[in-house]
Amino acid sequence: MGEVILEMRGIDKSFPGVHALNNVSFDVRKGEVHALMGENGAGKSTLMKVLTGIYTKDSGSIIFEGKEVEFHNAREAQDAGVVIVHQELNMMGHLTVAQNIFVGREFKKGIKIDDKKMNEEAKKLFDMLHIDIDPTETMSNLTVGKQQMCEIAKAISHKAKVIVFDEPSSALTEAEIDELFKIIRDLKKQDIGIIYISHRMDEIKVITDRVTVMRDGCYVGTLITENCTKDDIINMMVGRVIYEEPKSHSMVPEDAPVVLKVEHLNAGRLVKDVSFELRKGEILGFAGLMGAGRTETARAIFGADPKESGEIYINGQAITIKSPLDAVKNGIGYLSEDRKRFGIVVQKTVAENSTMASLERYIKSIFIDKKAERDTATEYVDRLNIKTPSVDQLVVNLSGGNQQKVVLAKWLVRNCDILIFDEPTRGIDVGAKSEIYKLINSLAQEGKSIIMISSEMQEILRMSDRVLVMCEGRKTGEIPIEQATQESIMNLATRDVE
Amino acid sequence: MKKFKELPFVKKVGMNRIVLMFVLVLMYIVFGILTKGKFFGIKRIISSLNYAYFLGFLSLGVTFVIATGGIDFSIGPVMFCCALISGYCHLSYGLPLGAAILLSVVIGMIFGMINGFLVSYMNVPPFIVSMAGMNIAKGVASVFTKTQSVSWPQLAAGGWYRNLVKVGNVPVGFFILIFFALICGIIMNKTRVGRYILCLGSNKEAARLSGVDVKKWQWLAYVICGIMVGIAAVFFVGAYTTVQPGYGDQYNNEAIAGAVMGGTSMAGGIASIGGTILGVFVIALLQEGILALGFTKDYQLIITGIIVIVAVYTDIVARRRKN
Repeated sequence: MGEVILEMRGIDKSFPGVHALNNVSFDVRKGEVHALMGENGAGKSTLMKVLTGIYTKDSGSIIFEGKEVEFHNAREAQDAGVVIVHQELNMMGHLTVAQNIFVGREFKKGIKIDDKKMNEEAKKLFDMLHIDIDPTETMSNLTVGKQQMCEIAKAISHKAKVIVFDEPSSALTEAEIDELFKIIRDLKKQDIGIIYISHRMDEIKVITDRVTVMRDGCYVGTLITENCTKDDIINMMVGRVIYEEPKSHSMVPEDAPVVLKVEHLNAGRLVKDVSFELRKGEILGFAGLMGAGRTETARAIFGADPKESGEIYINGQAITIKSPLDAVKNGIGYLSEDRKRFGIVVQKTVAENSTMASLERYIKSIFIDKKAERDTATEYVDRLNIKTPSVDQLVVNLSGGNQQKVVLAKWLVRNCDILIFDEPTRGIDVGAKSEIYKLINSLAQEGKSIIMISSEMQEILRMSDRVLVMCEGRKTGEIPIEQATQESIMNLATRDVE
Repeated sequence: MKKFKELPFVKKVGMNRIVLMFVLVLMYIVFGILTKGKFFGIKRIISSLNYAYFLGFLSLGVTFVIATGGIDFSIGPVMFCCALISGYCHLSYGLPLGAAILLSVVIGMIFGMINGFLVSYMNVPPFIVSMAGMNIAKGVASVFTKTQSVSWPQLAAGGWYRNLVKVGNVPVGFFILIFFALICGIIMNKTRVGRYILCLGSNKEAARLSGVDVKKWQWLAYVICGIMVGIAAVFFVGAYTTVQPGYGDQYNNEAIAGAVMGGTSMAGGIASIGGTILGVFVIALLQEGILALGFTKDYQLIITGIIVIVAVYTDIVARRRKN
């Protein structure tokens, strides 16, 4: 490990009502991978936004290459050599790979853009990183993993000295993650300092040199990765040890009735002839790799996307679901993996969001009974332990985990019998995760039937009573939890489909 | 300043509205000084209130549409279309006055229903729908009246609607506008219609996935707008009696300016009825002041245009700061 290239000292940042960063210090050395960890709302993203000039710090100093700097926007940071590779990729899908990499600083021949030179330069970058991507390929044709490699190449082309990876692996397959790690190791050799934000403990152990943990906007401590254990890190993050064994047997009684039955469901490319049954009080895990069609299946059942064919029965009755409204009327609730886009209305309060799916119950003559609404919201804020100053707080001001709980509150207020959780703990910290698990378990015990889509094998094994595996739009198998292992699930998830 | 913003009173009324009230008073004083006192006095106030009546209804209507994240550039011409057709029916076909007034509201509603249907059920962008609707409204009105202007009867000096309720010299229209504003405020803040309109304006997909029939509620916003436009037409002819086919565009901008100045966000999801009314008064006072200073109406067009841009820009900046 080399000398310190970037140091943030005593950074303070407040938003109205929130002390987001409280005297936080952090540094990166040349050629090291430094993990930044912490629960959601711990202040990791805010710290990185202060670093790259998206937010202005209230106090503290940033020293980059020995000089105090203050970037006013991401562009200035980028020009100086501090680049973020975002979790959500900012790519223009219609342009080619090379055009994307050099956007804003195209090579020119007179007034004409020199595409040939751009392709050559892009190729050089890819060769340097040992990545096999055709620079003339259209961006949207690449997999998410490949697109991310392009982002990295773009960062390198800016002569980056510090690269921030913001949850880079959340959308990648195992193989792509291996690729990514190879590249990161290459970058280390070139003396680039890397900040790596992730919730995945196993990755942290594999790729990072040091780990800094934040909690509630404060710096907690820094560990040498080699000398610490997972539990050490988790303890620093939450102050308590959480680890649970996989579920050993199904908790569903033998005679539990079938609540939901789906037969020969077809919807687009990623839902082909899917049939399954869900029983009362059961947690049915939907396992599979990215693009297996699990979310698409859920959305088709819920009426969010159109179906081509297939029957849905609830409690033995055939029903028609043409829109989410129909689904909600039939007692189905859906918690999307992307709560910001599909779950919450950020401009509205916690109370207003909680009653959104059941507002008709809060109508007195023609008016909304705001008192009853707030009472209900208060009840669920307590029950789900939602951290908010009041139920009148706008949801935009809550952290990710708490927003997720507001979405859950919405469906619990509606009293849905069938709940579809799509990646319920994605981007959620360890502490909130176990809370969500507890909630899901208690819901199942109350007799709610649950479909849980998850890409985390541990989550599937720990929560499900039965595991349904999908691959490329087809159901490839169902495994009772007693027989489910990582290997058996992965085997079905990657099976060749004729 | 920060402390001021935290005061319970300020929080309740809203910073934006307090600024607008301040602006109103300031404008009044500035115009008064510039015209060497001629601007002060009941006559000018009544005259600008006259302007505010019909504009107020347009602005209230379009507030609902903007709250959904949409826009309607056809309100002005549709208002003229309502006034022309119903007035023509009254004058040429002997339709009773009361029925003509009702007809005006119905025509506005029909335009709203069609616009809303195209936007929410057919997914045509609101911008296109309202641009086309503007021309259609003008054309329909011209065809129907054979390109003649229509003069509604002037039953009393300064507008016949005063005969609805006689209260001496007090501009009754003002109270009617406030009454309708109250109804709109209740719809927007206390009922399911308003709640869903704001929800879908803020995040349509999340509302849809919560089982909200977003198409229906979005459509309803346009229908409410159409009804308000029909009412606006009644008050327009009440104040000005004569309507010419082929006009009405300028009121689009003024009505939209009133709404966005009042704190309704062009991006949807945030709306303030009280703000809209204050915004309308600013526009009305501005027009009166400009005329009193001896400038032509063209200057008002320029200033209204600038106001729209500044108001929308301020909204964008405020939003960015919040995120």
